[in-house]
Amino acid sequence: MSSIRVTGLRVRHRKTLALDSLDLVLGTGVHGLLGPNGAGKTSLIRVLATVARPDAGRVELLGQDTAGHRGLAGVRRRLGYLPQEFGYYPGFTVREFVAYVAWLKEMPAADVPAAVERAVARVGLADRIDAKVRTLSGGMVRRVGIAQAVVNDPAVLLLDEPTAGLDPEQRVEFRELLRALGASATVVVSTHLVEDVAAACTEVTLLDAGRIAYRGTPEALTRLGEVSEGPGDHPIERGYTAALRAHRAPGAREAV
Amino acid sequence: MTGPLLYARSRALPATLAALAGTAAFALWAAGRLDAYLDPDRRVPIVALAPLLASAVIGASLYSASDELDRTAVHRWWPRRLGQLTALTALAALLVVPAVLGHADTFGPPAVIRNTLGCTGVTATAAVLLGARLSWLPAFAYVTAVYLGSSAARGRAATVWAWPMQPGAQPGAWAAALAAFTLGAALYAARGARPEGVGG
Repeated sequence: MSSIRVTGLRVRHRKTLALDSLDLVLGTGVHGLLGPNGAGKTSLIRVLATVARPDAGRVELLGQDTAGHRGLAGVRRRLGYLPQEFGYYPGFTVREFVAYVAWLKEMPAADVPAAVERAVARVGLADRIDAKVRTLSGGMVRRVGIAQAVVNDPAVLLLDEPTAGLDPEQRVEFRELLRALGASATVVVSTHLVEDVAAACTEVTLLDAGRIAYRGTPEALTRLGEVSEGPGDHPIERGYTAALRAHRAPGAREAV
Repeated sequence: MTGPLLYARSRALPATLAALAGTAAFALWAAGRLDAYLDPDRRVPIVALAPLLASAVIGASLYSASDELDRTAVHRWWPRRLGQLTALTALAALLVVPAVLGHADTFGPPAVIRNTLGCTGVTATAAVLLGARLSWLPAFAYVTAVYLGSSAARGRAATVWAWPMQPGAQPGAWAAALAAFTLGAALYAARGARPEGVGG
């Protein structure tokens, strides 16, 4: 069953068209969102997170149209979101910050303490739960961001550049967390790191200039790289560039 | 700690309340040195500047360090924003009144309450358009310009545009200040302060 259904989505960012007549259906699993800078990844994530309104088109999350407030409230209770840059309140501890987001999600007050501890433990910060967020390293702050995104056990989880600032060991642990989350939820991960996609995603969507350039599995993208001559150190990187170039080739857009 | 308390701390409300109390104490101390019982017009600096300082404090509290996450809240934001702004404005008005007791028709409690409303309205509008961190600037510039330039101004129009310097019984000044507050409160409730990048 599809958790995310986007039809004819058009989003303008200042004077440029960030997303152009996008149609997309995503179900349970981990979906990697790839694409060059300015492809529209963050615009798509922000619309799915209900923080930006589309200029045209329809967005259905968990079977609800997000245009109306009633549907929106129900969706937001079951949504997790890690923005590319999230601010935090300087005086808050990790526990308080994650609890604040749980309150925004209107989780039952009695469930919040245990949910906060579970979310913080999942990102490996249990020993720093009462530390001020401002005293943590960049990678730890990123993990706090992931903790707040999963505190409500979301049915739809949207992560924009979640591995930025994480060291290799933390990235490996994060991929394990992604796979666990993707077993029961629809997880959308926007990233530049194709190796994260290869290791943790069940499906790949490649965006270019506001349109879908490629959709398939990481294995299919890897196979595309194995038979292409494009640049890249690994087959999936070559598959990425080959798919982009095929999309950009004259006359190719109508075929996607 | 409960959600509403976390919300209050996220908006730095404890520090805001302390700053408002400090502003009121400073206004009271300054008013005591003016010998205003001889001439109520000597209170004009207090009537103009105490509400300006209070509105700057309120403007700073409108800052949201995590605007992007706040936008995903299930509950609508406008009641919280309106509640925060009106409660702080009412408190600020109450706190600055003791500095100017008496002389209600000239520069007494009505004038300082009116100016608190007007200055907070301008500041709230600036928070929406410029961001909370610079929200104090337009009100500061406007009140300073009126303070320096309105002494020679006469006529009905001057009672409106020079509202921060008018006596408390002046209807045109009240209309201007109430309009500024209504506009600022409505804009802030509907849109919130302009995002200013990553905080913390």
